[in-house]
Amino acid sequence: MNLHRTMAVAWKEMREILRDRLFLIMAFVVPSMILLVLGYGLSLDVENIPFSAVDYDRSALSRDYLHRYIDSRYFDFQGEARDTRELDRLLADSRIRFAIVIPEHFERDLKAGRPVTVQSLIDGVFPYRAQVSKGYVAAINAHFSAERVRDYLILKAGLSPSEAARLVQPIRLETRYLYNQALRSRWSLSAGLIMLVLMVSPPFLTALGVVRERENGSIYNIYASTVTRGEFLLGKLLPYVLISAINILIVWWLAVFLFGAPFKGSLAFFFIASLVYVICTAGIGLLVSLIVRTQAAAALLTMVITFIPAMLYSGLLVPIESMGPETQFEAHLFPALYHLRIVWGSFLKGLGWSVLWGDVLALALYAVVLWTIGYLSFHKRPRQ
Amino acid sequence: MGKTALVSGPGEACAVRVSRFHKRYRKTTAVREVSLTIASGEVYGLIGPDGAGKSSLMKAIAGVLSYEGGRVEVLGTTVDSEAAAERIKARIGFMPQGLGLNLYPELSIEENIDFFAQLRQVPPEQLAARKERLLAMTRLAPFRSRRMKLLSGGMKQKLGLVCTLIHEPDLVILDEPTTGVDPVSRRDFWSILAELLRERGITALVSTAYLDEAARFHHLSLMYGGEAITDGTPDTILESVPGSMVRVKAEPQVEALARLHAHFSQVEAVGDTLRVFVEGETPEAAQAAVREQLAGLKLERLEAVDPELEDAFIALLYRRGLVASESDRPTLAPDPGPAAENSENIAIQARGLTRDFGNFRAVDHVDFCVRQGEIFGLLGANGAGKTTAIKMLTGILEPTAGEGRVAGADMRHASQTIKQRIGYMSQAFSLYRDLTVLENIRLYASIYAVPGPRRAERIQWVVDMAGLSGVENRLAADLPMGIRQRLALGCALVHRPRVLFLDEPTSGVDPIGRRRFWDILVQLARTRGVAILVTTHYMSEADHCDHLALMYAGRVIADASPAALKQALIDEAGKLLELTVDRPLDALKALEQGGFADAALFGRRIHLLAPNPDTARQRIEQLLEAQGLRLQRLREREPSLEDVFVYRILQQERGREQEQQRA
Repeated sequence: MNLHRTMAVAWKEMREILRDRLFLIMAFVVPSMILLVLGYGLSLDVENIPFSAVDYDRSALSRDYLHRYIDSRYFDFQGEARDTRELDRLLADSRIRFAIVIPEHFERDLKAGRPVTVQSLIDGVFPYRAQVSKGYVAAINAHFSAERVRDYLILKAGLSPSEAARLVQPIRLETRYLYNQALRSRWSLSAGLIMLVLMVSPPFLTALGVVRERENGSIYNIYASTVTRGEFLLGKLLPYVLISAINILIVWWLAVFLFGAPFKGSLAFFFIASLVYVICTAGIGLLVSLIVRTQAAAALLTMVITFIPAMLYSGLLVPIESMGPETQFEAHLFPALYHLRIVWGSFLKGLGWSVLWGDVLALALYAVVLWTIGYLSFHKRPRQ
Repeated sequence: MGKTALVSGPGEACAVRVSRFHKRYRKTTAVREVSLTIASGEVYGLIGPDGAGKSSLMKAIAGVLSYEGGRVEVLGTTVDSEAAAERIKARIGFMPQGLGLNLYPELSIEENIDFFAQLRQVPPEQLAARKERLLAMTRLAPFRSRRMKLLSGGMKQKLGLVCTLIHEPDLVILDEPTTGVDPVSRRDFWSILAELLRERGITALVSTAYLDEAARFHHLSLMYGGEAITDGTPDTILESVPGSMVRVKAEPQVEALARLHAHFSQVEAVGDTLRVFVEGETPEAAQAAVREQLAGLKLERLEAVDPELEDAFIALLYRRGLVASESDRPTLAPDPGPAAENSENIAIQARGLTRDFGNFRAVDHVDFCVRQGEIFGLLGANGAGKTTAIKMLTGILEPTAGEGRVAGADMRHASQTIKQRIGYMSQAFSLYRDLTVLENIRLYASIYAVPGPRRAERIQWVVDMAGLSGVENRLAADLPMGIRQRLALGCALVHRPRVLFLDEPTSGVDPIGRRRFWDILVQLARTRGVAILVTTHYMSEADHCDHLALMYAGRVIADASPAALKQALIDEAGKLLELTVDRPLDALKALEQGGFADAALFGRRIHLLAPNPDTARQRIEQLLEAQGLRLQRLREREPSLEDVFVYRILQQERGREQEQQRA
């Protein structure tokens, strides 16, 4: 290993990157763009659901019931509709996502102790949102029903309000949300997206950089000279790892200061662990560059094999534990999962080496395997 | 070559020895059974069209490509594994194909050189001295901090050479270094290479697609379809195909062409002259044979000349049965359309045509005029503005200034009409490779809205004209380059255009394919009255045109018939003399210092222009004697169009320099 030749390759590469404006933008702007676009756009919180209602009863009680929904921060009331036909039209046009239909004699029947059926129509196109909406509706409805029972007990059995409340709800549930106390998905997501950005960007740049050299033929300078393949690969990839190291800090800063995600862990640990991850993902780019021949193909293939698995198999959107056994196995084959644990551990839980060392080790193993395969399959005297 | 022995180690009298070399890419065989030997210190040429196997062979010798069979020995080492290849790489310089493609566009000239030097671990003190010398020789020194992407083609080529030589290898391998470069830069390149090689005793293996560069080599191999057809010195190859080249002007030309084709395997029309290669005959017998075939026709200027290497190459290809003989030569079926256009009608007229791209003026006040039935050649290096001019005339690109009329329609307002009336065959292949021959023709017939009832007839005409019968149902991708080119031409002609634009139609095609292609063009122009505007960077092809315009840096710098251009050169600068000398490089220096500024080296010979051959002869002998050199032979040659082009460009450059000095 000759350090001079390695540095010559690295210097050349760095200068090329710095002078190629388009590439420079890809290197530094695109990662932040991914974080911004997905960070703002991919909110998983279900809030402000537009809804409407038809109140055929128009009594004090029906109005009270309806206001439970109107006052909720989860719902956005779009005004009352005249009849169910109008509701159908609003739902079909996606102007509202769910609707409440209160039947005639709502107040009379309730006061007479007869059961009443309120209809709720929920747009089921997006099942996750529909289920969350249904949960909210059920909770509001249950709360209202409990109040009715309590009022009845107070009125009929002469109990005091607190006694009545105890009878209605003998078990009180007390919930404390840990790590993300406000339960803001933006916090978790913006931190989690760091995993995604660092999964996509380093291999993308690396693959383009290596394939570019092969596509235009300057790779023959390397083939025909005395540079060893190790020296070439190291010098070639060093600048991309360096760029990605800077990107680690940029996206961390964005997550913390722009999205306000809390960072409870150690920045040094986070940076070193992420650096290992970046070296590992740059290795994916190296492998891509050995398979394809054109920059277009390199870009496409890198996107497909990094972006999609990182979204689906990392636990970012769906917890690993909820996956089937085969899917869980696949998820463990992919480095994104380990880095996501490191990210969320560092950001939200304040964890460090003592807990997360296993994940860093997994990433390091990946890096060694990927780079070894890359080194062994790079030849200075290829078949074509 | 005395110096060579000092540089190379013992037992290295030959630098490269290749025997029965075989290279396959998956199932396709690229090179089969090629053997060659390159002596130390010589310049060895590989000549052949695209797909001949030159690059594969060179890469294998450079140790950057593995191969399936045979033996490659380079500088005393058998290159049979990656490890073995590594051992020779310190002593080899390799420049891959593609002008400047192995350089780094974002780095400056100096940074490029430095990078190569660092890769090769050239010690800094040596690097500084070598760099200065090479930069001075290539006249790149004033531009040392300019980024490579801003260099002209010729400068990129020279920078590539500098980078390849910076570690002073014993063997340099240069893959098509002169393709797409203007003739002046090409000459420059050869003289720099010759000087460097001689000084350092370096051996060079150089490939080219231009047969007219053969004279530059000491030894060469002619390659075709993965095989080496023959090898030897340029002279021994010529001698291996005995015969005479007869040139004749005959009227009517089409009739004469048909009669000669029936009897001789090699016949081509070059402008108004027919060239016939009569194999195995003395000049006298050959002339008599041609005269006999043309009995009854009006003949003018029948003469026998020495055959050129291209003629020998083609004769060898026929002899080896590698290409079908002329019997399947396409002929123009009677075209049931209107007869030939009146040749007085102007088909293309450009006036003050100008196009800017930002600050860069690609085409600068270009004027020319093409008549119906005329073949008009637009010559120039890559980047001279040829393609831009064509794009403006065909209505694809809006001109910045100036006007043009094509096929009777104004280029600025009636580009749609123009597109209906012209055929256009672009540099980038306009065929659909996944369609069959017939499907391609049908597609173009539909695009140009050839009326239904006439469609079948037109398609049949294209098949006959381009000689495509038998391959109608094959995919375009599977066709050999030459046939594909004719198919593209046929597609451009399916709607019977009156004007045809061809942008580098023969680039990379083998010499036989090129000749057949030109055959068709000549017939189209002569019998159909089609006006043809064609661009090319093969100088040897330019002779086929009736009229030529030389483009340089966006301007037309000469505009006349080939014969008139050559005559103008003789009138202005004198006759072309070819000198054979025993030590050509020393002779060249002596001549340059003695006042023959335009003397140029061609292999072992020197070309120079002299207004008065007799006084020049005396002066030359004096100059050579003073250096102890002997003039072996001196003869007058007809200047080639390349000579014309080089002279005109140098004239332009000198004019420009003077202007700058005055400013």
